[in-house]
Amino acid sequence: MTAAPWAAVLVVTALPYRLLQAVFFDQLFEAGSNAAKYGNLLGGTANLIVISLLIALWGRAVYARACRLALGRRTTPGRETWRVPAAALASYVLTSAAVLLLAYISVFTCLGILLAAAFAGLAIGTMELNERVSLGQPFRLMFRHARMAILMGLVVVFACGLVVAMANLAAAFGLVVWAASGIGGFDAPHWHLLFTGNNRRFLLLILAGAFVAVEPFWIAAHVVFVRKAGAEERGDDLRAWFEELRRAS
Amino acid sequence: MTCAKMLCQECATQWDGIWHCAACLGLKRGAKVERSALLSWFGVVIFAAILLYTGARLMVWTAAVIAGLF
Repeated sequence: MTAAPWAAVLVVTALPYRLLQAVFFDQLFEAGSNAAKYGNLLGGTANLIVISLLIALWGRAVYARACRLALGRRTTPGRETWRVPAAALASYVLTSAAVLLLAYISVFTCLGILLAAAFAGLAIGTMELNERVSLGQPFRLMFRHARMAILMGLVVVFACGLVVAMANLAAAFGLVVWAASGIGGFDAPHWHLLFTGNNRRFLLLILAGAFVAVEPFWIAAHVVFVRKAGAEERGDDLRAWFEELRRAS
Repeated sequence: MTCAKMLCQECATQWDGIWHCAACLGLKRGAKVERSALLSWFGVVIFAAILLYTGARLMVWTAAVIAGLF
Protein backbone atom coordinates (compact mmCIF):
# COMPACT_ATOMS: atom_id res chain seq x y z
CA MET A 1 0.00 0.00 0.00
CA THR A 2 3.05 2.29 0.31
CA ALA A 3 3.10 2.69 -3.49
CA ALA A 4 -0.54 3.85 -3.48
CA PRO A 5 0.15 7.54 -4.34
CA TRP A 6 1.81 6.39 -7.58
CA ALA A 7 -1.43 4.71 -8.62
CA ALA A 8 -2.57 8.20 -9.71
CA VAL A 9 0.08 8.14 -12.48
CA LEU A 10 -1.19 4.74 -13.55
CA VAL A 11 -4.84 5.85 -13.58
CA VAL A 12 -4.12 9.07 -15.54
CA THR A 13 -2.07 7.23 -18.18
CA ALA A 14 -4.51 4.30 -18.43
CA LEU A 15 -7.67 6.41 -18.87
CA PRO A 16 -7.12 7.46 -22.54
CA TYR A 17 -6.37 3.82 -23.46
CA ARG A 18 -9.43 2.40 -21.72
CA LEU A 19 -11.74 5.16 -22.99
CA LEU A 20 -10.53 4.68 -26.57
CA GLN A 21 -11.15 0.94 -26.20
CA ALA A 22 -14.70 1.78 -25.10
CA VAL A 23 -15.08 4.04 -28.16
CA PHE A 24 -13.79 1.21 -30.41
CA PHE A 25 -16.32 -1.27 -29.06
CA ASP A 26 -19.08 1.35 -29.28
CA GLN A 27 -18.27 1.88 -32.97
CA LEU A 28 -18.16 -1.89 -33.46
CA PHE A 29 -21.60 -2.40 -31.89
CA GLU A 30 -22.93 0.52 -33.91
CA ALA A 31 -21.67 -1.00 -37.16
CA GLY A 32 -22.83 -4.49 -36.16
CA SER A 33 -22.63 -7.10 -38.92
CA ASN A 34 -21.55 -4.35 -41.36
CA ALA A 35 -18.33 -3.74 -39.38
CA ALA A 36 -16.19 -5.05 -42.25
CA LYS A 37 -17.39 -2.07 -44.34
CA TYR A 38 -16.14 0.41 -41.69
CA GLY A 39 -12.50 -0.70 -41.75
CA ASN A 40 -11.14 2.84 -42.08
CA LEU A 41 -13.12 4.13 -39.09
CA LEU A 42 -12.24 1.17 -36.88
CA GLY A 43 -8.63 1.21 -38.13
CA GLY A 44 -8.31 4.91 -37.23
CA THR A 45 -9.54 4.23 -33.69
CA ALA A 46 -7.22 1.19 -33.47
CA ASN A 47 -4.25 3.42 -34.38
CA LEU A 48 -5.23 5.87 -31.61
CA ILE A 49 -5.51 2.91 -29.22
CA VAL A 50 -1.94 1.86 -30.06
CA ILE A 51 -0.65 5.40 -29.34
CA SER A 52 -2.55 5.57 -26.05
CA LEU A 53 -1.31 2.05 -25.22
CA LEU A 54 2.30 3.29 -25.32
CA ILE A 55 1.42 6.01 -22.78
CA ALA A 56 -0.43 3.43 -20.63
CA LEU A 57 2.57 1.06 -20.76
CA TRP A 58 4.85 3.85 -19.51
CA GLY A 59 2.41 4.54 -16.66
CA ARG A 60 2.35 0.84 -15.77
CA ALA A 61 6.16 0.75 -15.80
CA VAL A 62 6.36 3.71 -13.41
CA TYR A 63 3.82 2.14 -11.07
CA ALA A 64 5.54 -1.27 -11.18
CA ARG A 65 8.82 0.44 -10.26
CA ALA A 66 7.05 2.22 -7.39
CA CYS A 67 5.73 -1.14 -6.16
CA ARG A 68 9.18 -2.71 -6.38
CA LEU A 69 10.83 0.19 -4.51
CA ALA A 70 8.08 0.21 -1.87
CA LEU A 71 8.51 -3.54 -1.41
CA GLY A 72 12.20 -3.10 -0.68
CA ARG A 73 11.97 -0.03 1.56
CA ARG A 74 8.56 -0.33 3.22
CA THR A 75 8.12 3.43 2.63
CA THR A 76 6.58 5.47 -0.17
CA PRO A 77 9.19 5.84 -2.93
CA GLY A 78 10.22 9.32 -4.03
CA ARG A 79 11.23 10.96 -7.29
CA GLU A 80 13.55 8.11 -8.31
CA THR A 81 10.38 6.22 -9.30
CA TRP A 82 10.21 8.30 -12.49
CA ARG A 83 13.60 6.96 -13.61
CA VAL A 84 12.39 3.76 -15.26
CA PRO A 85 15.42 2.18 -16.98
CA ALA A 86 15.10 2.58 -20.76
CA ALA A 87 16.10 -1.06 -21.34
CA ALA A 88 13.34 -2.27 -18.99
CA LEU A 89 10.72 -0.04 -20.64
CA ALA A 90 11.72 -1.12 -24.16
CA SER A 91 11.60 -4.77 -23.11
CA TYR A 92 8.18 -4.23 -21.56
CA VAL A 93 6.80 -2.59 -24.71
CA LEU A 94 8.11 -5.56 -26.73
CA THR A 95 6.63 -8.23 -24.46
CA SER A 96 3.32 -6.38 -24.11
CA ALA A 97 2.99 -6.00 -27.88
CA ALA A 98 3.67 -9.74 -28.28
CA VAL A 99 1.12 -10.63 -25.59
CA LEU A 100 -1.49 -8.35 -27.18
CA LEU A 101 -0.95 -10.05 -30.52
CA LEU A 102 -1.36 -13.43 -28.80
CA ALA A 103 -4.60 -12.18 -27.23
CA TYR A 104 -6.04 -11.05 -30.58
CA ILE A 105 -5.04 -14.29 -32.31
CA SER A 106 -6.51 -16.43 -29.54
CA VAL A 107 -9.65 -14.35 -28.95
CA PHE A 108 -11.79 -17.13 -30.45
CA THR A 109 -10.56 -19.59 -27.82
CA CYS A 110 -11.41 -18.71 -24.20
CA LEU A 111 -8.25 -20.41 -22.90
CA GLY A 112 -6.01 -18.26 -25.10
CA ILE A 113 -7.36 -15.06 -23.55
CA LEU A 114 -6.66 -16.41 -20.04
CA LEU A 115 -3.10 -17.32 -21.07
CA ALA A 116 -2.59 -13.87 -22.58
CA ALA A 117 -3.82 -12.25 -19.35
CA ALA A 118 -1.38 -14.39 -17.32
CA PHE A 119 1.54 -13.51 -19.59
CA ALA A 120 0.58 -9.81 -19.58
CA GLY A 121 0.94 -9.93 -15.79
CA LEU A 122 4.31 -11.68 -16.08
CA ALA A 123 5.46 -9.04 -18.58
CA ILE A 124 4.97 -6.23 -16.06
CA GLY A 125 6.27 -8.34 -13.16
CA THR A 126 9.55 -9.19 -14.89
CA MET A 127 9.98 -5.76 -16.53
CA GLU A 128 12.64 -4.44 -14.14
CA LEU A 129 14.68 -7.63 -14.33
CA ASN A 130 15.66 -6.64 -17.89
CA GLU A 131 18.94 -4.81 -17.45
CA ARG A 132 19.90 -4.93 -21.13
CA VAL A 133 17.91 -4.65 -24.34
CA SER A 134 17.48 -7.97 -26.07
CA LEU A 135 14.95 -9.62 -28.36
CA GLY A 136 14.95 -12.96 -26.53
CA GLN A 137 15.86 -12.23 -22.90
CA PRO A 138 12.51 -10.61 -21.85
CA PHE A 139 10.63 -13.70 -23.06
CA ARG A 140 13.12 -16.08 -21.40
CA LEU A 141 12.60 -14.20 -18.12
CA MET A 142 8.84 -14.50 -18.47
CA PHE A 143 8.99 -18.24 -19.12
CA ARG A 144 11.39 -18.73 -16.18
CA HIS A 145 8.85 -17.18 -13.82
CA ALA A 146 5.82 -18.84 -15.42
CA ARG A 147 4.23 -20.85 -12.62
CA MET A 148 0.96 -21.39 -14.36
CA ALA A 149 -1.09 -22.57 -11.38
CA ILE A 150 -0.41 -19.36 -9.42
CA LEU A 151 -0.77 -17.17 -12.51
CA MET A 152 -4.10 -18.74 -13.45
CA GLY A 153 -5.22 -18.27 -9.86
CA LEU A 154 -4.39 -14.58 -10.15
CA VAL A 155 -6.31 -14.34 -13.44
CA VAL A 156 -9.41 -15.85 -11.80
CA VAL A 157 -9.10 -13.60 -8.73
CA PHE A 158 -8.79 -10.47 -10.86
CA ALA A 159 -11.64 -11.56 -13.15
CA CYS A 160 -13.82 -11.71 -10.02
CA GLY A 161 -12.35 -8.36 -8.94
CA LEU A 162 -13.40 -6.89 -12.27
CA VAL A 163 -17.02 -7.95 -11.73
CA VAL A 164 -16.97 -6.51 -8.18
CA ALA A 165 -15.44 -3.24 -9.46
CA MET A 166 -18.14 -3.00 -12.15
CA ALA A 167 -20.90 -3.49 -9.57
CA ASN A 168 -19.34 -0.88 -7.30
CA LEU A 169 -18.95 1.66 -10.09
CA ALA A 170 -22.55 1.12 -11.26
CA ALA A 171 -23.73 1.58 -7.66
CA ALA A 172 -21.61 4.73 -7.30
CA PHE A 173 -23.15 6.17 -10.48
CA GLY A 174 -26.62 5.29 -9.20
CA LEU A 175 -25.89 7.02 -5.89
CA VAL A 176 -24.64 10.18 -7.62
CA VAL A 177 -27.72 10.30 -9.87
CA TRP A 178 -30.00 9.77 -6.87
CA ALA A 179 -28.21 12.52 -4.91
CA ALA A 180 -28.28 14.88 -7.90
CA SER A 181 -32.03 14.35 -8.33
CA GLY A 182 -32.49 16.14 -5.00
CA ILE A 183 -30.91 19.32 -6.39
CA GLY A 184 -32.92 21.52 -8.71
CA GLY A 185 -31.63 22.79 -12.03
CA PHE A 186 -30.28 19.45 -13.26
CA ASP A 187 -32.02 17.24 -15.78
CA ALA A 188 -31.67 14.38 -13.29
CA PRO A 189 -34.82 12.52 -14.45
CA HIS A 190 -33.14 11.99 -17.85
CA TRP A 191 -29.97 10.72 -16.19
CA HIS A 192 -31.88 7.67 -14.94
CA LEU A 193 -32.36 6.69 -18.57
CA LEU A 194 -28.69 7.19 -19.39
CA PHE A 195 -27.13 5.44 -16.37
CA THR A 196 -28.82 2.08 -16.81
CA GLY A 197 -27.80 -1.31 -18.15
CA ASN A 198 -29.88 -0.59 -21.26
CA ASN A 199 -27.41 2.08 -22.33
CA ARG A 200 -24.54 0.40 -24.19
CA ARG A 201 -22.16 3.35 -23.73
CA PHE A 202 -22.74 3.39 -19.98
CA LEU A 203 -21.92 -0.32 -19.76
CA LEU A 204 -18.74 0.16 -21.80
CA LEU A 205 -17.68 3.06 -19.57
CA ILE A 206 -18.33 1.00 -16.45
CA LEU A 207 -16.22 -1.82 -17.89
CA ALA A 208 -13.41 0.62 -18.78
CA GLY A 209 -13.61 2.11 -15.28
CA ALA A 210 -13.48 -1.35 -13.71
CA PHE A 211 -10.28 -2.15 -15.63
CA VAL A 212 -8.73 1.13 -14.45
CA ALA A 213 -9.76 0.43 -10.85
CA VAL A 214 -8.39 -3.13 -10.80
CA GLU A 215 -5.14 -2.42 -12.67
CA PRO A 216 -3.08 -1.07 -9.70
CA PHE A 217 -3.79 -4.23 -7.68
CA TRP A 218 -3.09 -6.45 -10.69
CA ILE A 219 0.32 -4.85 -11.30
CA ALA A 220 1.26 -4.88 -7.60
CA ALA A 221 0.29 -8.58 -7.32
CA HIS A 222 2.50 -9.54 -10.28
CA VAL A 223 5.46 -7.46 -9.10
CA VAL A 224 5.25 -9.14 -5.67
CA PHE A 225 4.80 -12.57 -7.30
CA VAL A 226 7.95 -12.19 -9.46
CA ARG A 227 10.00 -10.74 -6.58
CA LYS A 228 8.94 -13.56 -4.24
CA ALA A 229 9.76 -16.17 -6.88
CA GLY A 230 13.20 -14.58 -7.35
CA ALA A 231 13.80 -14.43 -3.58
CA GLU A 232 12.95 -18.13 -3.31
CA GLU A 233 15.40 -18.94 -6.09
CA ARG A 234 18.29 -17.06 -4.45
CA GLY A 235 17.40 -17.95 -0.85
CA ASP A 236 16.75 -14.28 0.02
CA ASP A 237 13.44 -15.21 1.63
CA LEU A 238 15.22 -17.51 4.12
CA ARG A 239 17.82 -14.83 4.84
CA ALA A 240 15.05 -12.27 5.48
CA TRP A 241 13.24 -14.75 7.73
CA PHE A 242 16.40 -15.36 9.81
CA GLU A 243 16.90 -11.60 10.08
CA GLU A 244 13.34 -11.16 11.34
CA LEU A 245 13.82 -13.96 13.89
CA ARG A 246 17.11 -12.45 15.07
CA ARG A 247 15.50 -9.03 15.44
CA ALA A 248 12.57 -10.48 17.34
CA SER A 249 14.84 -12.28 19.80
CA MET B 1 23.65 -5.95 0.07
CA THR B 2 26.24 -7.69 -2.06
CA CYS B 3 28.83 -8.69 0.58
CA ALA B 4 26.12 -9.99 2.99
CA LYS B 5 27.95 -8.53 6.01
CA MET B 6 25.94 -7.43 9.08
CA LEU B 7 25.55 -3.67 9.26
CA CYS B 8 23.71 -1.25 11.49
CA GLN B 9 21.00 0.94 9.94
CA GLU B 10 23.22 4.06 10.14
CA CYS B 11 26.07 2.48 8.16
CA ALA B 12 23.84 1.17 5.36
CA THR B 13 22.79 3.30 2.40
CA GLN B 14 19.84 2.52 0.22
CA TRP B 15 20.33 2.56 -3.54
CA ASP B 16 17.60 1.53 -5.93
CA GLY B 17 15.66 -0.07 -3.09
CA ILE B 18 18.53 -2.24 -1.81
CA TRP B 19 20.68 -1.59 1.28
CA HIS B 20 24.44 -1.44 0.63
CA CYS B 21 27.53 -0.88 2.75
CA ALA B 22 30.04 1.86 1.79
CA ALA B 23 32.48 -0.63 0.23
CA CYS B 24 29.81 -2.27 -1.95
CA LEU B 25 28.52 1.14 -3.03
CA GLY B 26 32.08 2.14 -3.97
CA LEU B 27 32.43 -0.98 -6.07
CA LYS B 28 29.09 -0.30 -7.74
CA ARG B 29 30.15 3.24 -8.55
CA GLY B 30 33.45 2.08 -10.04
CA ALA B 31 31.88 -0.74 -12.05
CA LYS B 32 31.61 -0.26 -15.79
CA VAL B 33 28.00 -0.02 -16.91
CA GLU B 34 27.44 -2.46 -19.74
CA ARG B 35 25.38 -0.73 -22.36
CA SER B 36 23.09 -2.55 -24.74
CA ALA B 37 24.33 -2.85 -28.29
CA LEU B 38 22.86 -0.39 -30.79
CA LEU B 39 21.79 -3.32 -32.94
CA SER B 40 19.77 -4.76 -30.04
CA TRP B 41 18.00 -1.44 -29.56
CA PHE B 42 17.27 -1.22 -33.28
CA GLY B 43 15.96 -4.80 -33.34
CA VAL B 44 13.73 -4.36 -30.30
CA VAL B 45 12.26 -1.03 -31.47
CA ILE B 46 11.58 -2.30 -35.01
CA PHE B 47 10.15 -5.62 -33.81
CA ALA B 48 7.93 -3.91 -31.21
CA ALA B 49 6.69 -1.44 -33.86
CA ILE B 50 5.86 -4.32 -36.23
CA LEU B 51 4.03 -6.18 -33.44
CA LEU B 52 2.05 -3.07 -32.46
CA TYR B 53 1.11 -2.30 -36.08
CA THR B 54 0.09 -5.92 -36.74
CA GLY B 55 -1.79 -5.93 -33.42
CA ALA B 56 -3.85 -2.89 -34.43
CA ARG B 57 -4.73 -4.42 -37.82
CA LEU B 58 -5.52 -7.78 -36.21
CA MET B 59 -7.74 -6.10 -33.62
CA VAL B 60 -9.88 -4.55 -36.37
CA TRP B 61 -9.97 -7.79 -38.36
CA THR B 62 -10.93 -9.91 -35.33
CA ALA B 63 -13.57 -7.40 -34.24
CA ALA B 64 -15.08 -7.31 -37.74
CA VAL B 65 -15.14 -11.12 -37.95
CA ILE B 66 -16.82 -11.46 -34.53
CA ALA B 67 -19.31 -8.69 -35.34
CA GLY B 68 -20.12 -10.48 -38.60
CA LEU B 69 -21.13 -13.59 -36.69
CA PHE B 70 -24.06 -11.79 -35.02
